[in-house]
Amino acid sequence: MNAPIKLQLLLDTQRLERNPFPIPTGWFFAGYSDSIQPGEVKNINFLDQEWVMFRGENGTVGITDPYCPHLGAHLGHGGTVVGDNIRCTFHHWEYSAEGFCKHIPYAKVMPPITKKQPILRTLPVQERYGLIWAWYHPEAADPQWELPAIPEMEEPGHVKPRRWSGSVNTAIQEVAENGVDNVHLKYLHGTPIVPPTTATFEDHKMQINIGMGYIIGDMFGPGLNVMRFTKDGVTATMISYSVPITRNQTQMNMSFTHKDYPQGSKERAIAEHLVAHSIGEAEGEESAGFESVDMIVWNNKKYRAKPLLCDGDGQIIKYRQWFKQFYPGWENSDKI
Amino acid sequence: MVEVRASDRDGTEHRLEAERGRPLMEVLREANLGVEGTCGGACACGTCHVYVGAAWVERLPARSEDEQMMLDAIAELVEVRPASRLSCQIPVSEELNGIEVEIGPVP
Repeated sequence: MNAPIKLQLLLDTQRLERNPFPIPTGWFFAGYSDSIQPGEVKNINFLDQEWVMFRGENGTVGITDPYCPHLGAHLGHGGTVVGDNIRCTFHHWEYSAEGFCKHIPYAKVMPPITKKQPILRTLPVQERYGLIWAWYHPEAADPQWELPAIPEMEEPGHVKPRRWSGSVNTAIQEVAENGVDNVHLKYLHGTPIVPPTTATFEDHKMQINIGMGYIIGDMFGPGLNVMRFTKDGVTATMISYSVPITRNQTQMNMSFTHKDYPQGSKERAIAEHLVAHSIGEAEGEESAGFESVDMIVWNNKKYRAKPLLCDGDGQIIKYRQWFKQFYPGWENSDKI
Repeated sequence: MVEVRASDRDGTEHRLEAERGRPLMEVLREANLGVEGTCGGACACGTCHVYVGAAWVERLPARSEDEQMMLDAIAELVEVRPASRLSCQIPVSEELNGIEVEIGPVP
């Protein structure tokens, strides 16, 4: 007679969820700087809700909850920019990019709370690398780290970044997990060998080194990953700025650049090949880019909080423990 | 029921019967003595300003920070005295039986 089996292992699947995760904390891409002009108002969907983005006359971008704290009108339907504030169309209450009520045209006395604190939820905003960044924290806590300097994106002497965007039906943690999963590079993408990969973790940062320096990836929280591909002394840079649209949908965004090597030079050819390679467009490519193969996995998988791993699986568990810091309040959850 | 003795802005005194536990503002508002209570008790409008009778000032719960800020805000436009309160912040109780209030000026 056979020994009793671990039935639980077989029945786990019934309880699995596609994406058990909340929206993580961090700086997230909210739009391209050149997509909104001073005086413009637009509605955007990300971080599992709708927000209203506006750019004041002084150039400052605000990202606010849509519904006016007064009587609930939607600021993004009829709201206008007045000076550096957004004005609700209903009674002309005005709000700064920080969510303070700055003006009520008919009140003899401003409600005292308007002097004390913001009354409209807004996200802290920064513009870096030509991108608008929003800080998200479920309890609206202040930013806990700064966006890093990326010389290739901020200093002259580099080619105009080439952009790529795509949508995937999974959570952002799952997308980034592939960065530490070097084994899948061979079996899913078809690289000749499993590239040696190391990962180090420090506070909100993770650095991965794939192929002994061929790819160095620096991740700054869930929303920014700076990857540098180096071959024959030439480096191409990809910044990846994925953003959760909902808990189940992630928009992947990337910008690629490299030094503005002279046209026709060997260096420029290498740099352009590295860029093409990283999006799977290179000629004579022996392995598949993420678009053709990763999507199939991401769009259909379920998250196993307690996976069965083997000796070659690398740093997946360490990565997940590191990522857990971005889910405040979920420290003791066994679902993630 | 608790008796409230309220003088309106013409100086006429009204004796009101107030239900225990309700904010004094609501009692005054329903008696049509000129109290609007626009914000509903959030210390945001100052329209329920009253002067409390001298004998009663010390017997009320202290002003909260929010009430103090609202009184400070209206002080630029109307006379605020040590006896000034926002009546929305005064729950009617047995201990206040006979309380005297004067409907205060509002912005």
